[in-house]
Amino acid sequence: MDVFGKAGPSAVFSDAVIYRFRLRRASIAATGTGASFAVDADEVAFDFTFDVPRGASDTAHPPQRGHCLTPGGETVSFYTNDEKGGQSPGVRVFAGQRSEPFFLDVRMIEKTVATRQIAFKKVGSDTLYGTNVLSIVLEVEWPKLLDGGPMFAVVCETLRAGPQPTRIERVGRPEIKNVSMSFKMFDQVNRDLEIRDLYNSEDAFALTPDYVGAYRARMNANLSFYDSLDGEIDWPLDEASNHPLTKLLLADFLVVDASKPFRETSYLEIERAMLAGRPHTTAGGRWLNEDVMDFIFTLYINGGNGPHISDGVDAPIAWSSTVFPYLAPPNPPKSQAS
Amino acid sequence: MTAALHGKRAISASGTNAAVLTHGTIALRNLEGQIEGLEPNSSPGRLGVEERAWLIDLLTLRGSILGSIADYGRALELAHLLVRDAPSEAAAFLARARTRAVFHRFGEALEDLDVAERLAADTKSVDRERAAVFQGLGRYEEASAIREEDARRRPSFESLGALTTLCAELGDTERAERLHAESVRRYRGISPLPLAVLDFQLGTMWMHEGQLDRARDHLIAARNYVPAYAPAQGHFAEVEAELCHFDLAIALLIPLATTSDDPDYAAQLARICAHAGYPDDARYWRERAAARYEELIAVHPEAFADHAAEFWLAAGGSPRKALTLARMNLEIRKTPRACSLLSRAIAADEAAGAWCFSVPQTSHSATSAAT
Repeated sequence: MDVFGKAGPSAVFSDAVIYRFRLRRASIAATGTGASFAVDADEVAFDFTFDVPRGASDTAHPPQRGHCLTPGGETVSFYTNDEKGGQSPGVRVFAGQRSEPFFLDVRMIEKTVATRQIAFKKVGSDTLYGTNVLSIVLEVEWPKLLDGGPMFAVVCETLRAGPQPTRIERVGRPEIKNVSMSFKMFDQVNRDLEIRDLYNSEDAFALTPDYVGAYRARMNANLSFYDSLDGEIDWPLDEASNHPLTKLLLADFLVVDASKPFRETSYLEIERAMLAGRPHTTAGGRWLNEDVMDFIFTLYINGGNGPHISDGVDAPIAWSSTVFPYLAPPNPPKSQAS
Repeated sequence: MTAALHGKRAISASGTNAAVLTHGTIALRNLEGQIEGLEPNSSPGRLGVEERAWLIDLLTLRGSILGSIADYGRALELAHLLVRDAPSEAAAFLARARTRAVFHRFGEALEDLDVAERLAADTKSVDRERAAVFQGLGRYEEASAIREEDARRRPSFESLGALTTLCAELGDTERAERLHAESVRRYRGISPLPLAVLDFQLGTMWMHEGQLDRARDHLIAARNYVPAYAPAQGHFAEVEAELCHFDLAIALLIPLATTSDDPDYAAQLARICAHAGYPDDARYWRERAAARYEELIAVHPEAFADHAAEFWLAAGGSPRKALTLARMNLEIRKTPRACSLLSRAIAADEAAGAWCFSVPQTSHSATSAAT
């Protein structure tokens, strides 16, 4: 889970926020054009909380103590930025400042939408180049800690702590709220609605039925816009005028099949296999180094039937590794780098 | 007392669901972290207009919490650059209007808001900014019309808080307290900074009303939220000095006067040290404040005319300078406080003039006698 984009060296985790990983057992409910997952009502959560760091007001990098509460009620404590992290049987955790693993050219996305033409350059400009984030890494031996499986739906959330914790943000798949849902002008139902705040306030596993129509209209409109960019219709709408990806994407959680092999380019592999009516072959999920934006635009624009669509940004400033804590160390502040 | 304040965790009083707030020290670090993350990138190609405007607002916020004039200056500098780079973006003019208002350049701020409105900024947003400028100018009826309407149509922490500050400035203490309570009840954020700022405003209101205990309560609350809130600490020291707790007041002010580029703390120290019977210390801080005020008045006369006038009236000991600045201040903003400041400056200048006038007469007499 990454929070606090473009974090400067001073940034630390809030002591008033619960950083939560929610996991539910999932299974494939339907394949083909009506592809969807069935997700259990029961769930487990890993809650991360942080103390006020000692010397926070007068120390450049004060040690901050973090705590991970496991579903079994065990607490794993650790210090932020300690790459060894904290451990207990079946669980390993890390939290701290790391290099931003995401990479994309936001300006050219905006231009693509504004001009209604693919505006990506051969060599794009990474909007997040050289920036850092606050990251939380959770490594779980699922057979030890989780009932059932091997397929799980995962959502990350931040919640305002207190007697009744309230959700602040949530994330499942990348770029659902921004690239897929933010643009208003194609939506003939709610042309002036900033829908992201409403959608963000929802439980990812149980959208409020009253608002699903609005989310569906927005997603249908924007996905159809992307599909129109190459002049070909690769995603014909169904009889109810729904885009084939809408239902899958509005259920905004990341699905992982822990029984299948890990692959660096497995984003939405499970979902695509479901749409094609074939068995999936990877663990799904999303690896940090995957060029997700290229994947998203290729999927949205030509459904994989045409050329690879690149936004011209093919790598982050630093690659993540396959060794805990996976994410690359933070970049030096710009003033030092230059 | 100070140590105890620092250790307490702030909780917003929002009914039964008393939510936890981020500790003030973390909130300030993270404000710093946001600025650090945006500042090095603040070239037109890297950050969008919204992010650049956001950075300007963050700098202004840090300036207000730490009492940092350098932050205000940097915000204004970035705002000019933003308008230069994005002359067709309403957000650029809105950001510059806010920073110009901070420096009491109210006329220019209103011009920026007019441009923003022409560039299709949301009229309600522009009006909210206008209300702040009107309030600064002492055009309370116009500010009130906007603030009241906004609070009625969209009662939120922000709209009710804005109305609270207006009532506080007008001295409508009872309503300000009521609105403050309602505003806090509606707060849904986790940052303590907006709550601290609101308590600071009420503390200032009660100081002006002469109700020191109530002022103290709000200023302590503000410092509970954010222990490093410099203006709250400064005002708290002033209250303690009024209660003749001079040593505590001095202890609270010295770190601020030493580190801040705002001469207000040195000015207060000079005044309080003089009252407390520390003439050497008073002289030191007076000279320091005077030098800094001279620098600031040369660069930002509108912004510091009122505080500099207060300084020259009190510890600075120059009613003539105070009078010049108080006149300038009243030209900028027709507020009751500006009128009061000018009245006091005129009275002090006349008193000094009478004394000055009597000096040559005495001298002349003496000379005459000598001859």
